[in-house]
Amino acid sequence: MRKLSLAAALLAGSAMSTPAFADGHLRIVDEPLELTIQMNHARYPIYEEDWPVEQVARELTGIHLLNDTVGANMRTDENTGRTEALNLMLASGSIPDIVGSSRIRDFVNQYGPEGAFAPLNDLIAEHAPNIAAYYATRPDIEAAVKASDGQMYYIPYLPDGKYGRAYWIRTDWLDALDLEMPETVDEYEAVLRAFKTQDPNGNGLDDEVPFFARQWPELIRLVTLWDGRAHGSDTYHDFLVEDGKIGHGYIGEGYRDGIANLARWYAEGLIDAEIFTRGSSARDFLLSENLGGSTHDWFASTSGYNRLSSEIDGFEFKAFLPPASPSGRRIEEHRRILVKPDGWAIGHTNEHLVETIKYFDFWFTEEGRRLANFGVEGLHYDMVDGQAIFKQEFLDAGPVNRSLYQVGAQLQGRGYFQDYNYEIQWSNEYALEGIALYDTGDYLIPDFLGVAFTADEQKVYDRTWGSIRDFMLEKQQSWILGSGDVVPEWDAYLAQLDDMGMQELLAVMQTAYDRQYGG
Amino acid sequence: MVDENTNTAGQPPEKAAIAVHEAARHHIDDGRLIRLFDHFKREWQIYVMLLPTIIWFLVFLYKPMYGLQIAFKDYSIFRGVANSPWVGIEHFHTLFANDQFIRAVKNTVTISFYNLLFGFPAPIILALMFNEILHATYKRTAQTIVYLPHFISSVIIAGIVITAFSPTAGIINTFIGWLGFEPVYFLTQPQWFRPIFVGTGIWQEAGFGSIVFLAAIAGVNPSLYESAVVDGANRWQMMWKITIPSILPTILIMLIIRIGNVMEVSFELVILLYQPATYETADVVNTWIYRQGLQSGQYDLAAAAGLFNAVVAFVLVMTANTLSRRFSRTSLW
Repeated sequence: MRKLSLAAALLAGSAMSTPAFADGHLRIVDEPLELTIQMNHARYPIYEEDWPVEQVARELTGIHLLNDTVGANMRTDENTGRTEALNLMLASGSIPDIVGSSRIRDFVNQYGPEGAFAPLNDLIAEHAPNIAAYYATRPDIEAAVKASDGQMYYIPYLPDGKYGRAYWIRTDWLDALDLEMPETVDEYEAVLRAFKTQDPNGNGLDDEVPFFARQWPELIRLVTLWDGRAHGSDTYHDFLVEDGKIGHGYIGEGYRDGIANLARWYAEGLIDAEIFTRGSSARDFLLSENLGGSTHDWFASTSGYNRLSSEIDGFEFKAFLPPASPSGRRIEEHRRILVKPDGWAIGHTNEHLVETIKYFDFWFTEEGRRLANFGVEGLHYDMVDGQAIFKQEFLDAGPVNRSLYQVGAQLQGRGYFQDYNYEIQWSNEYALEGIALYDTGDYLIPDFLGVAFTADEQKVYDRTWGSIRDFMLEKQQSWILGSGDVVPEWDAYLAQLDDMGMQELLAVMQTAYDRQYGG
Repeated sequence: MVDENTNTAGQPPEKAAIAVHEAARHHIDDGRLIRLFDHFKREWQIYVMLLPTIIWFLVFLYKPMYGLQIAFKDYSIFRGVANSPWVGIEHFHTLFANDQFIRAVKNTVTISFYNLLFGFPAPIILALMFNEILHATYKRTAQTIVYLPHFISSVIIAGIVITAFSPTAGIINTFIGWLGFEPVYFLTQPQWFRPIFVGTGIWQEAGFGSIVFLAAIAGVNPSLYESAVVDGANRWQMMWKITIPSILPTILIMLIIRIGNVMEVSFELVILLYQPATYETADVVNTWIYRQGLQSGQYDLAAAAGLFNAVVAFVLVMTANTLSRRFSRTSLW
């Protein structure tokens, strides 16, 4: 906090050679202590001991993390094998001192109570004042990370900032066709139809794709335009919570009406005909080929496509507010979730529990949090008026979040509290404009933060949910594609879901929810 | 392989063999180990060559059988195979109470049946056709072209199929468009999944599969054809009366092997091509296992489904082998 001079010492040159800090108020152990770590998260499959951030953390705390990751697949950019890596680590029988991963919550909350991971409640209360202080302000998040036995088994990665995805539209196409920005679902439909029929790209061909999405479940999210609900959290097809009641979007009447309308849109060609098979390159392909009109996608990455204006004359892709439903509601269902199921945990064979929890706590101190968010002062950022500001050459060196992963900051397998200022500094003007627009109203709705099951509840969930989800998705696609009709089939659909145990599953979810969040 | 000694000896062959064996036994008792040792000393290269296969079998097929017990346990990765509690046949109850599993079994059998019906004769027909080509360069070129798809990975194949059947840019729909019809979004329509899947399989494997039949045809005694020519037979008659009967044992062996694999629909290709919209016809046992067992972490249930799959395949291959031995005197063992 008060010790700016401490970080200034790093300015003197390379962080690697910085001597131990004289003041040492963050030091945890006198003699260097080595702990092993498995870290395999969404963007990076191992823990690198020579990351500048790790080097500085060593100097500050005296704790050295040694990479002991099994099951890492170094060949992919998008690290997909992390759940398998966790299972492999567990099956190998030796659990490192620290285990960090994306999607670690269900894993530690299942195997923690069996004894594979150390329970953290007492450790946090006694040795981790910064983590405890954070949880004191956010009891909802503390509840969300707990297992069914009331223990915490991991320290989560806590994202900052409110917004994730938004509605996007080609504003230059609106101008070309002399249309206004759509404010209601009817206006949105009229705009999409105009995109379809009036050749906004001016090539004389009927090749425009009015609405498209990289992930087809984003199409389903459009049911919110008819007061339906789709995904209760940033996990697709998740349950949702409304006024303390657990429900599911796909059994609501708004969903039924929304799907009926989406089927109509699909039949009219307002939705990408290949929405279910086009896949993750849809945005890239349809925008750069000057074909796509509107989508629902992330602020930061989508705004970046405005660079296409150098190739496509007048290209402008801007965020617009969620169109109002027939009843006048405007909601943006997607938001940046408050607590990710990512973070790190302590293996049951760790002999230095106190030192480890203190090390976890270090990342919640001001210095630690800055280190986790911005990298190393003097190397990656400078302090300007008490704010961490990235160096220009660091911002220019390519995608900033990737550069940060590569120096050991912004790791999703580390428990830390993100600082949204890090992202604002490299968001482009279109993203900032869109965020400011969404900030003018109150469009976000609460997320479902998940529940932890007891063994019996888990059995019910395992037995029913997979089949129910498959059935719901099967019906969903067939209705949109027109091989079935949602309105006449609706009652039979609900009856079939009940046969498959939907009510039993909801009851189990409710019990778990009440236990976890206090009813 | 069966008829060699039935007519020669006065007594049934088994008895003769036993008598010979009994007579020999008294002579070799003491020299047996030495003889065995000599045998290994002389033929050790052959055993060394056999070794990798034996190790492969032990490591990848026999050792994993130990883990099959999790089909009857409430398996936890942390507790391990040995320490997880037994639950009897609970997982099998769960399986057979699940409509989607039953549907997956039906889909597997149906797709395999189509595969057998259309996919099995394809390489035989192809081999017979190649055999009739006289122009050597043309023959070799054609063979290379039909072998090629076998060497392409399933991911690429799926990409080709998805693109070819795309409703906006695909070659199939472009063609349909020329004929004046509306484009069809093939890959989301359940009724189209099986034809596309089986057709893709034939396109990919028929050429490579024909190699074994071509080899069998090459082994047919040329004097049979020569005498047929002398007798005035035409090519069509020679194919029906000589080629096909001569390669029948090969065909039957290949059929038995194929039946043993009936439950193993090529799972990667299904995963890559199916959609929730086509689960109705496309979801097979292995994709169901993948979704329920691996994606949702229910390894015990997945093991139960896999065991069921293996038992069915075992019964099928035993049946096929027995039938083949009885009716054609050709069998794998």
